[in-house]
Amino acid sequence: MITSISWKNVWRNKSRSLIVIIAVTLGTIAGVFVAGLMNGWVNQRIKAAIYTEVGHIKVQNPDFLVNEEAAYSISNFLEVTKYLDNSTHVKAWSARSKIMGMASTARGNAGLTLKGIHPEKDKLVSDIYANLLPNTGSYFESKSKQPPVFISHKTAEQLKIKNFRIRDVTVDSLKTLDVPENVILKLDTLINTRFITQKKFEVAIKEVWNSTEIKSYGPALLSTAAYFHPRAKITFSFTKINGELGYQTYQVCGVYKTSNTMFDQNSAFVKHSDLAPAAMLADNQIHEISILLNSEENIAGFKTTLQTKFPEASVMDWKELAPDAGMMADFMTMYYYIIMGIIFFALAFGIINTMLMAILERIKEIGMLMAIGMNRIKVFIMIMLETVFLTLTGSLIGMILGGLLIKITGETGLNFSSVAEGFEAFGWSSVVYPTIETSFFLGVILMVIVIAILSSIVPARKALKMKPIDALKME
Amino acid sequence: MKVIEIHNVNKIYNESEVKVHAVNGVTLDFEEGEFAAIVGPSGSGKTTLLNLIGGLDNPTSGDVMIGGSLMSSLKGSDLTDFRMHNIGFVFQAYNLIPVLTARENTEFVMRLQGKTAKECSNRVEELLKAVGLEERMEARPSKLSGGQQQRVAVARALASKPKFVLADEPTANLDSKSTETLLDIMEKLNKEENITFIFSTHDARVVKKARRVITIEDGKVISDEYKNIED
Ligand SMILES: Nc1ncnc2c1ncn2[C@@H]1O[C@H](COP(=O)(O)OP(=O)(O)O)[C@@H](O)[C@H]1O
Ligand SMILES: [Mg+2]
Repeated sequence: MITSISWKNVWRNKSRSLIVIIAVTLGTIAGVFVAGLMNGWVNQRIKAAIYTEVGHIKVQNPDFLVNEEAAYSISNFLEVTKYLDNSTHVKAWSARSKIMGMASTARGNAGLTLKGIHPEKDKLVSDIYANLLPNTGSYFESKSKQPPVFISHKTAEQLKIKNFRIRDVTVDSLKTLDVPENVILKLDTLINTRFITQKKFEVAIKEVWNSTEIKSYGPALLSTAAYFHPRAKITFSFTKINGELGYQTYQVCGVYKTSNTMFDQNSAFVKHSDLAPAAMLADNQIHEISILLNSEENIAGFKTTLQTKFPEASVMDWKELAPDAGMMADFMTMYYYIIMGIIFFALAFGIINTMLMAILERIKEIGMLMAIGMNRIKVFIMIMLETVFLTLTGSLIGMILGGLLIKITGETGLNFSSVAEGFEAFGWSSVVYPTIETSFFLGVILMVIVIAILSSIVPARKALKMKPIDALKME
Repeated sequence: MKVIEIHNVNKIYNESEVKVHAVNGVTLDFEEGEFAAIVGPSGSGKTTLLNLIGGLDNPTSGDVMIGGSLMSSLKGSDLTDFRMHNIGFVFQAYNLIPVLTARENTEFVMRLQGKTAKECSNRVEELLKAVGLEERMEARPSKLSGGQQQRVAVARALASKPKFVLADEPTANLDSKSTETLLDIMEKLNKEENITFIFSTHDARVVKKARRVITIEDGKVISDEYKNIED
């Protein structure tokens, strides 16, 4: 019965309660959505860390961690792979040789690590092949005169392999993208000129287009004018296993881009069978084995098993290999609750204030209730429930709407490149797909209840401090 | 059987410069089934005396015993619970919870005692019928007249079958017709249920209905008369 009185009391002053409910609703929507956004972003990062970059578990020679020299290969590679082949926990593994070196073209240099892989096996562990940029080649499929290399967009820029040129096809595609005729005409003087960096191209565009035109049509122009110098040759210099300097020329067979610039900058993929002879590595001289397990739950257990089995090897899981993602995985949930906590802390002042008004304006009635036999505990429960209902109504609506917003944007994705201005934004879109677990909502409900109970203490004390006869006194 | 025993009770207000001796050496007993009026001019100490009997206030000295329990030995929630179980209250105003219907207001104390709505329903309907509100059971107080609201308050005070009902100027805000109706209802219920009624008033028409009239002035009982009512 107290419950029903409390619920009815919420609606005594409809407009005042609605204001609080709307504020709580909006605050909850904002908090839930920001949490969903962060969560989506973190999940994408974790997914990339595991499925593109490092795998669940990696086996290496511990000396290689300290000093990435070609000589520090995994000592009992064959035994390890045999064990992995026979384990039911392992979904796939990929062995990679790693040689640090310098990549050069006629126009640029870049320091990076060549990763010698077996493409078909590596595909099962890393989805790097799925990050191939359109029209830049294929993943180790086409034939080439020189051994193929799969480089990142970033490396391509550093080596000045990414060029810009306005061609007839560029003009045609701009027309199909609804760029006005007169705007396209302004580009006439630039047609067929090659720009070897984006910066130089941007400078030239700024001469002919004004800033609003750049803002509206710049991204389309950049993406249609950009092209990768096809089959560009890259020479790598590196130290062979015997300490001598080695050179090897590769041909770009594909350009990829992941969400991790650091990884991109550092990684170029070649076939182990091409790299090994050039670096004087034996077929079995491997620097890392990247492993994907069937279930993430087995990571800790399998890591321990593997480490016990091969004590001379270094066995690390993805949290150690990608500490940024690992940290976020461990703490992110706490951050979401901190965000919600801050929002509700701010809302609590409004809730306390509203409840104080609600209690003070019916202090006589509460005095009467205490006189006829409603004890302090029941009065407190009545006020507390009223606060909980007031707060929970808004937060439930907010959670439903915020959840819907996450569901919708989680399917379409949110493109944050459009938020930034000017040419700086002309990079590649960073699309986030918000997502949130159901358990988060349960946590928020619990949190709302706790905050509502705490908020009810001030108004309840006000009510309980007074004596029934004082409240009942007729003026 | 004595329901209430008041022995040499004093209430002195010290809060301001002037001491107010609101209740001055009152000794009174009430038997089961009485229908008693406390009469006196405004400021004579009626409310103070009723508050002392009802356990809403503590006497400066003297004892108030209800059903053999000394009121001053009860504190806090124990005292509140004692009121809930033993005393029915009717105030001059603010008697009802605006968000509840007449039925829900009537069953309120019973529900506080832990009874379910179902367990209350017979008693509540019987009482609301007795106070002439069987048609308005689902109405909220704002849809009832002042007299009807006071009748709901009387029904609520009686619902849990308390030892006695205290009513401090229950008719002060009512017109004469409503006053008469309310008094008739109180009298009827007093007879039917044999529940002691103690009410204060300064209205002569109300005094007429009482079977015992206790007159106080300046906090002292100056007369205590039983009327012989032969029907
Ligand atoms: N809380 C109080 N503090 C000081 N004086 C009070 C207080 N309550 C009542 N009084 C005084 O006590 C006397 C009796 O008051 P009250 O019991 O309300 O009389 P009645 O109900 O007969 O009008 C009055 O003189 C009144 O001013
Ligand atoms: Mg009075």
